[in-house]
This record gives sequence, structure tokens and C-alpha cells, in this order.
Amino acid sequence: MADLAIAHPERQAAAESPAQLRQDRLLSVGARCALPVALLLGIGFLAPLVAILGYAFATPRSFDVFSSFTLANFATLFDPANTVWLSFFWSCGLALFTVAILAVVAYPIAYGLNMVFGRWSALISVLFVFPLFVSENVRLYGWVLFYIRNGVLDGSLKWLGLPGGPEVLYTPGITLFGMVYTYLPFMLFPMTLGLALVPRDLVDAARDLGAGRLFIWREIELPLAMPGILIGMLLTFVLAIGATAEAKILGGQSIIVISHDIEIAFTYSQNWPLGSALAVVVTFFIGALTLFALSKLDLDRMLGKR
Amino acid sequence: MAHISRRSVLQGMGAGLGALAAAGPLFNANKAFAAREKELNILCWEGYNSAQVLDPFRSKTGATVKAESLTNDPTMINRLRAGEVNTWDLINVNNPWARKVMLPEKLIKPLPKAEFEPFFETMLPMFKPPYKWAMSENGSELIGMAQRFGPYSYVVNTDKVSRKTAEDTGWDLFNDPALAGKYGILESDDWNVFNIFIIAGIDPFKTHTPDELAKFEETAKRVFKGAKLIGDIASMNQALISGEIDLHMTGGTYSVSPARADGYPNLRGITPLKGPLPGGKGGIAWIEITSTVNNPNLSPLALDFLKYVQAPDVAHTVAFAEGTFNPVSQMGNKACFDLFTKDELDAIQWDSLQEEMDRSAEYDIVPDYDKALDLMNAAKRLRG
Repeated sequence: MADLAIAHPERQAAAESPAQLRQDRLLSVGARCALPVALLLGIGFLAPLVAILGYAFATPRSFDVFSSFTLANFATLFDPANTVWLSFFWSCGLALFTVAILAVVAYPIAYGLNMVFGRWSALISVLFVFPLFVSENVRLYGWVLFYIRNGVLDGSLKWLGLPGGPEVLYTPGITLFGMVYTYLPFMLFPMTLGLALVPRDLVDAARDLGAGRLFIWREIELPLAMPGILIGMLLTFVLAIGATAEAKILGGQSIIVISHDIEIAFTYSQNWPLGSALAVVVTFFIGALTLFALSKLDLDRMLGKR
Repeated sequence: MAHISRRSVLQGMGAGLGALAAAGPLFNANKAFAAREKELNILCWEGYNSAQVLDPFRSKTGATVKAESLTNDPTMINRLRAGEVNTWDLINVNNPWARKVMLPEKLIKPLPKAEFEPFFETMLPMFKPPYKWAMSENGSELIGMAQRFGPYSYVVNTDKVSRKTAEDTGWDLFNDPALAGKYGILESDDWNVFNIFIIAGIDPFKTHTPDELAKFEETAKRVFKGAKLIGDIASMNQALISGEIDLHMTGGTYSVSPARADGYPNLRGITPLKGPLPGGKGGIAWIEITSTVNNPNLSPLALDFLKYVQAPDVAHTVAFAEGTFNPVSQMGNKACFDLFTKDELDAIQWDSLQEEMDRSAEYDIVPDYDKALDLMNAAKRLRG
């Protein structure tokens, strides 16, 4: 929006008539045409956020939004006796592990899609995208059937005369597995785009000058692919910190994640103000973290546009 | 594009707004003033929102019928409190809410008694008029119709824990350290509050002392820590069938009937022989009451729909609508009962239904539910 309102300084300096000056101060024709839609989208985007913010300051367990003001909900959340920090800890921890594991798992695949698979790359990309067409819950229930006692894995191993599969369901570990599985495409494709930015000539030149594989990777590939990698990491982290289905379906609620706590507040507890306060705290945390990461990440410089 | 002037833009916007105003009825903009003869909105537990139940009514009346299903009562009631009385025509929740909460708060309105009370005469004996949960507190008004009901305590795999042991031991099953890691908990938190109180040996439906709440908290921590999983009905049935768990807390006909109908009669809802509820009862049963919302512009189809679901064939469809299978009050009518096959009766545990209902207290409101729920949620977080 900011650039819509800015007139063109260089033209302003050279302006000759007051009419032109006036016209320059106005929005461009395109911006004016887009204004109704921009307003509508702005309201649609802001209204739910404003409602959540309003509820966060409403009397606990009431619907007195915008007619009451209290910090009681935040006091409840930050009360040392409140165990909600445990949910927050699990969500952050699982999201960090998901990002770390995905960075390691997705990099070789992204490298393969760019450099190795050749004409098979498109097909392999489709295979990674394809699961996204099926509801996440259905896919996770599929994994339950795979890992459950006497299920696909356990049953097949027993059929082969082996002792059976490991008991992995309903643990935090399988929750992490579910998150890694669900968010793989969200790390893979930004990473693939990042690696596509690495000019082959540069790698060849480095090799001609005697650089080793590790040196080329560290000094050329990784820094040049970094925008894609970091965007993938950021995207995955933001999605993973709000994940609920994996902990519920695969993890059997062996841990409670923060988004599940928000859900409980809005359903069984019917404490919309507390749920809203929790949502506000989580949103601010993620927002601050994202802004911090983006401040450290100068995309223009990385992309060589400056 | 450069020729677009402010005037032409304003003219365009004016035309657009004019078109929107003309299309008003399509967007329901003036819904509050429109006649609602051909429109019905139902807020309900799942089953009433199924095509099997609604489609015949739609074709009979030519109406647009919308039904939204939710899986807990407080959410539905708060939707009305938040202003949706203007949206809904019928609300279908568990027994105490109509009489104790929704009528006093003027969220629902009474039914024409002379027209609807005779239906209760043909229902199962426990619903004979005046049926407590269908009447206002002073007994003067009929405020809803009863249909689906059932006992709801816990479910066992009788191959692992016999029906007799499960009934005799009662809720102490969940106090048995030997069963830790072998049971699940259905994600139905209002019922879990009731059941944790009962496992602690306390009647849930009263105001509790600090000592009782402390005992509740200790019990909640222990029971949740010992659970192998917490999940929805599908997860519980799947875990029982696969052998991951031997029993699960909060469950009964409503949750286990789909698995029984799928060929697993060894899974069974159990109502314990004794417990801390008044009269030494150990189980809790629910009865759904469907009421007309206090909508200033109530659809006339609301009353028609309430009559429609009383018909023997429709009542049978409601009993076996998608999702869960349940007994219905209309089974007191022979014409309706005869529609149930032997397998269907077996799925809903008809053989023990009456004795289980007799051993159950009726679902009620826990006065200090909020406090107990907060303690239980905190206990859940300590599982990890």
C-alpha cells in the first residue's frame, strides 16, 4: 500500500504547473481503481484480527467484546501456576525440530530436482505435490493404519514371521514424524527455487580454479541458495507452530500443542476471551520472530539486485 | 485506462451498487424482512444434518434446509447467545440445557402443547408425558421433543475385559494401575469432567468443596497420565479393534455402535452396577431435546420438521443416520420398532438398554464445570 500513496519525487522536482503538482499528489489511476477492492480485502483481513484483539481484552468467559476492558486474560496466561507454557514449549520445540529435519531431508531432494533428475524432475515434483490434493487428516489417518498394531507395518512383519513393528503411535516422536511428512513440500519447493538461482557457470568456474566439492557447496551454492532455504524454513516454522492434527491423530494427544489449547478455549471451555488472548500472544510471538528473521535476511542483497 | 476520470469511476461504482441493491434478495440482504416459508436452519448434533434425514423433507416441502452439526452443547448455546437466534429455527442439544438454561434465557420458545404432547404417548415408557426434560421447570410449557438417547459411560473390548468384570468393577477400572497404558480417553471434555469426578468417587452434578476439587485434580492427572491415547470416536474404535487399547473412558452406544454394526460385537458400552451418583447409580445417560429457537422470524417449517421426525420410518432413519447409531424414543411405537432389524438392535445394545438406562443418572449441568475443566486441561498438559 505504501508505494501507492507515494508520488514520484523526481517528477515532482521537475514539475512546472500547479495542476501537475496536484495530480502528482493524487494516487495513480491504477491505484484509484484498485482502491475499492483493496478496501474490501483490507476489511476482510482486518475484521477477524480486530475481533480477536477485542476479545482478548474482554471479561473472561463472556461475550462482552468491545464493551469491557481487562488484562485478566493475559494475567491468567502469564500466571506462573498456569501450565499453558508447556503447550507453547512443545509447539516451539516440535516446530524447530521439524524445520531442522526438513532442512536436511529436503536439501538433497531439491539438489536432485535441479541438478540430477533431469527430465524426471517434473514428474518427481508432481509426486511431492500430489499428497497435498488429499486432506491432511485423511493422510494422517492413513499413517495411523500403517503403524497401528496389526496394521500394515506390524501385520506384514508378523506375516513374514518377524516379531512385528515397533510401537511408535501415540508418542511425541510420531507427532514430529507427522509434521515432517506434512510440511515437506513447503520446505522443498522454496529450497528448489533457491538452488535454481545458483548459476552453473559460477560452480564450473570455481571447479576450474581448483575448488573442492565441499568448498563450492559452502562458498557458492549455500549462500546463493540461502534466500530459498530461509524462506522455506520460515514458512515451515510458521505452519508447524500452528499444527494440531499431527499431535491429535498420530500423537493421540500425548502432548497438547498451543493451537489445541486455543481450540479448547473456544469450544469446551467457551472462554473466547482467554482463547483470543492466547491467539494474540502466539501471533505476536510468531510475528516478532518473522520480522526479526526478515530483518536479518536482506533479500535484495542476496538476490544481487543491489 | 488513462481516460478514466473520477466521475466515470463514481458512475461505475454507482451502477455497481445499484446492481447489488437489485440483487439484494439473492444475497439475503433483507433476510430479516423476508418470509421464511421455504427456509429452515437447524443447529444440531450430527445425524440430523445427514442427507438421509433431510433430503425427503426437502423434496416434500421444496424448502432450503440447512443443518450445522457441532459436537458439544455449550458451543451451540453460545452461538445463540452471541446473536444467532435470528439465524436458527431448531436447536438439538442434551436434556438439561433447554429447561435449565435456554428457556430462562429466552433463547428458545415453547411448542404448542396440544399439538405435540400426544406424540409422547406413543414413545417408550420412560418418555410418558409430562416428560421432565421436555417441560419447563414449572411444568406448564412443553419446550422440546425427545428422540435419540443412550447410556454413556465407558466401552470395553469384552475379549480382554469381560462384561461382568467391567460392570462389577465399575469406574475403579480406571484406578487400577495394571490397566495404565491400556485405555484410551474419548475427546469429549464435558463428559470427561463428569467421569473424572465419578472415578474420584464424587457426584459430578453438585457444587464441590475445595477438598473434592483437589481430589478431582489428583484423579485427572493420574487418569490422563495413564491413558494410551486421547482421540475421537473413530480413533477409539480403531484402537479397540486393533488391540492398542482394551477399554476407553467416555463412551457407550453412541460411540461404539458403528463398530458393533461393522462386525465387532465384542466391543460393548458398559454401564457400571454402582457408583457415587444419587441412588448409588454409576452411569450417566443423555437424551437429546430438540426445541424451537426464539427466532423473531421463526420458519413455519420448524414445527413441520419436528412432526416429520416423529414418523416411524423417519425416526428409524434418524436412529441409523450416518455417523453414530442410537436408540430413539419412537421405538415405543410398534410400527417404528418393527423397522429395526436384529443386527440393528444388536448394534444399539437393545438387549441391555433398559437396565443400563435404569442404572444411569441423567446428564445434568455441573455447577462448577469451569473450575473443573481448567483443572482437567492442566492435567492433560502434564501427559507429555
